Amino acid sequence: MSDKVKVAYFDFTCCEGCQIEMTNFGDAAFLELLNHVEVVEFREAMSEKTTERINIAFIEGSFSREADRARLEEIRERSDIVIAYGACACTGGINALKNHQNDYHEEVYGKDAKMPHLDSQIALPVSAAIKVDYNINGCPMDKDEFIRVVSHLVHGKQPVIPNHPVCVECKLRETVCRYDQGDHCLGMVARAGCGAPCPADGIPCEACRGFIDHPNEESLVKVLMEKGGLSRERAETRSRMFTANCRADAPEKIVSPNK
Amino acid sequence: MNAFFIKEADFTQFLGNMIGARKVIGPKARKNRFVFDQIRKPEDLRLDYDVTILPPKKVFFPPRQELIRFHGQKGSSCIQPESTVLFGVHFYDIKAIDMTDHLFRENNMDFNYLAQRECTTLIGSNVQNIFKRAFFGSVGKGVAPKGHDGFTTKISGGYLYEVYTAKGKDLLAYGTFIEATEEQINEAREVNDSVMDKCPEKINHDSLEISEKVRSKFNSPVWEEFAHDCFSCGSCNLVCPTCYCFDVQDNWNVDQVTGSRDRTWDGCLLEDFSSCSLTGGSKENFRETRGSRYRHRIMRKTSYLTAKLGGPACVGCGRCSSSCTADIADPVNVINRLMEE
Amino acid sequence: MACDNCSCSKVYNENIFMPKEAVIVRAEMATASEKHFTLKWADDSPNYFEPGQFVEASLYGFGEIPIGYASSPTRTKTFDLIIRAVGRVSNALHKLEKGDTMLLRGPLGKGFPLDKLRGHNILVVAGGIGLCPTRSLIQYIIDRRQEFKSFNLFYGARSPDDQLFLDDLASWRKAEDVNYHETVDRGSDNWKGNVGVITTLFQKTEIPNDTRVIICGPPIMYKFVLMEIDKIGIPHENVYVDLERRMKCGVGKCGHCQINDKYVCTDGPVFQYSQIEKLEEAF
Repeated sequence: MSDKVKVAYFDFTCCEGCQIEMTNFGDAAFLELLNHVEVVEFREAMSEKTTERINIAFIEGSFSREADRARLEEIRERSDIVIAYGACACTGGINALKNHQNDYHEEVYGKDAKMPHLDSQIALPVSAAIKVDYNINGCPMDKDEFIRVVSHLVHGKQPVIPNHPVCVECKLRETVCRYDQGDHCLGMVARAGCGAPCPADGIPCEACRGFIDHPNEESLVKVLMEKGGLSRERAETRSRMFTANCRADAPEKIVSPNK
Repeated sequence: MNAFFIKEADFTQFLGNMIGARKVIGPKARKNRFVFDQIRKPEDLRLDYDVTILPPKKVFFPPRQELIRFHGQKGSSCIQPESTVLFGVHFYDIKAIDMTDHLFRENNMDFNYLAQRECTTLIGSNVQNIFKRAFFGSVGKGVAPKGHDGFTTKISGGYLYEVYTAKGKDLLAYGTFIEATEEQINEAREVNDSVMDKCPEKINHDSLEISEKVRSKFNSPVWEEFAHDCFSCGSCNLVCPTCYCFDVQDNWNVDQVTGSRDRTWDGCLLEDFSSCSLTGGSKENFRETRGSRYRHRIMRKTSYLTAKLGGPACVGCGRCSSSCTADIADPVNVINRLMEE
Repeated sequence: MACDNCSCSKVYNENIFMPKEAVIVRAEMATASEKHFTLKWADDSPNYFEPGQFVEASLYGFGEIPIGYASSPTRTKTFDLIIRAVGRVSNALHKLEKGDTMLLRGPLGKGFPLDKLRGHNILVVAGGIGLCPTRSLIQYIIDRRQEFKSFNLFYGARSPDDQLFLDDLASWRKAEDVNYHETVDRGSDNWKGNVGVITTLFQKTEIPNDTRVIICGPPIMYKFVLMEIDKIGIPHENVYVDLERRMKCGVGKCGHCQINDKYVCTDGPVFQYSQIEKLEEAF
């Protein structure tokens, strides 16, 4: 590996929390990774910008303004591999909560609602605008998974992105099921890969990594009502926080690059 | 058989001595459930547990295990067993361990399992509290627990400790044991027999009869019906004491030179379990529907392995039933239903 | 490694997952997507395998895939593997060249039952890359031709460009003791041979009903070839099929290749058709 892999980071509609998470790595693991990659653009950590060819482009944030399409296409054009990372880029994330509402402008911005910079479309994953090669899911994205995916790509190997639900990872670490604690959880339909830290800390899974390929949404509603004690309305909308674009009632189905 | 008695008052001291001398794994509380974990203080051992979340097979077959460590393209085996006492295992889990022993031994000896198994002293204990979904009293009744080194039963005034092997006998050194009386041996037998009728769930037919009838129901609509609410989450597989399927993946360490070839528990209920990149370039999933995957698990438990194991590959622990959030996994319901058709 | 303080003090050196090194003595692309490797064991240990058995081929960091031996054990110095680039492991293996090391575990599984084939008429039906594992048997039969009676060989490929082992095909076409028939699903301008699915070859020649039949190809092919076999009236115990599943561990443990109660990797991959025709998940 004499030639280092050139990587660049870009952000769109998001909180930039995943980039912060990246700079938080700070530990030996991340610094060691820098022996194998060369960061050519990273707004959160450096001022340089580049127009050169990129081996791996990491895109954060959702595609929520048609005006962003040209910039996304330009990134795609000069990158060998495009990776969407973080919930916003992979599924639209929390931003997509607005997709099923139409009055949020007035609700949130009041008299400023008509300002031109607030003009946005529904929030979609990056894959709605350009071809994405891989997703690194999660809110925020998981450091270990990030390192794993990058290390596979450094070796020219397609990364393995899991298509099993979070229940698997709870079982592997022998976490007491939220349902056994009288709580509810979305782990049965949520894509794993995070190591299931939330249920282990006593918090229900919110499916921040989106759904598995074929989530049983009908059964989810049933279990949330019968075992989780949620009302029908709440059970039906419960999974929306991170998966508005993945659900059967999504305004636009996401194109999953995971397969 | 050698049977010994230890007084309740001396039992804590026995545990303390054993923990001081050996690595001991036994049932411990975790929130409102129980898990097998290393016992560091005598009071952590909860022999009154009903069932653990994961079965004790994890001691020999960990959820994630390194098979090979590599440096570039040079690999080395990493079988490193550690002398361990696995204490307080219920009889149904002992039956299950005997099955996985057989399965990891047959055809090709897998020392990634067998080495730790051989270095473990396996001690059973009687079921003091019965799990709410247990049906161990009515499944595989002809199959006796075996392969363990000793067995403790709580009786009046203390514990009866039955010794079966030299490894089991070694533990006598840690406590004040006396020769058990005939009455104590009889009492222990009664204690162990009595739980068999007290399971909250019951399979209504004999294992052999079930094996044949369920096998003949391969094309029954029952499978899709039961699997309608299935999440394909694999929980029923992962908590099962007789499931032993795994996936193997290679991973590099951050230095990008060293790494390991690891196996991780897998489950036939998971969507991609039987999916395969064919040499024709296409992908085929040999068990594509939820129903076909659900059927495969029940077939494995009731029919496919019976010739090999001499009985069903289910011990009635009830773990799958309780771990299934959709509550469709319970073998009792689907077997009794198929038998009545 | 030994157990630390256990009374058994046994040493566990044996690890069924440990591969052995093999050196690539020849590597060349056979088609646009298939690479033909000729290998020998790095420690010069001899070849001992049956036609139809397989190895788990790997590189550390990338994983393992099952690949059938594509040469006969009668050719003792080296052995052949054909690898089609379809996934993570096969793409990594494709980058290997002459002189490089490939990691292999094997031989694994049950191969063709030579004892039951010797002294009989033989028909091999190979579709697509199914020619690779059967080439092991074909070479074996050709090398010990006097041990077998008539030898019919059917080979179907998607197109002339997809044909494998062109040197072999040329020699089989000319060979007097091999009754070779071939076809392609789609022809091309230069192709003068048969065009059509593999079953059309059954009209080209007479197959006696005491023939022992070997079938290997894509899943869809079996059904139609077996219909032809039934028309001839060949009993199912004389028919052998070479099946493909996700044989991940290769040693009958991991469970991925199960067909009902069978493990393809240890009970097969070659099965007597009569033993698995009742298995609902086989075809």
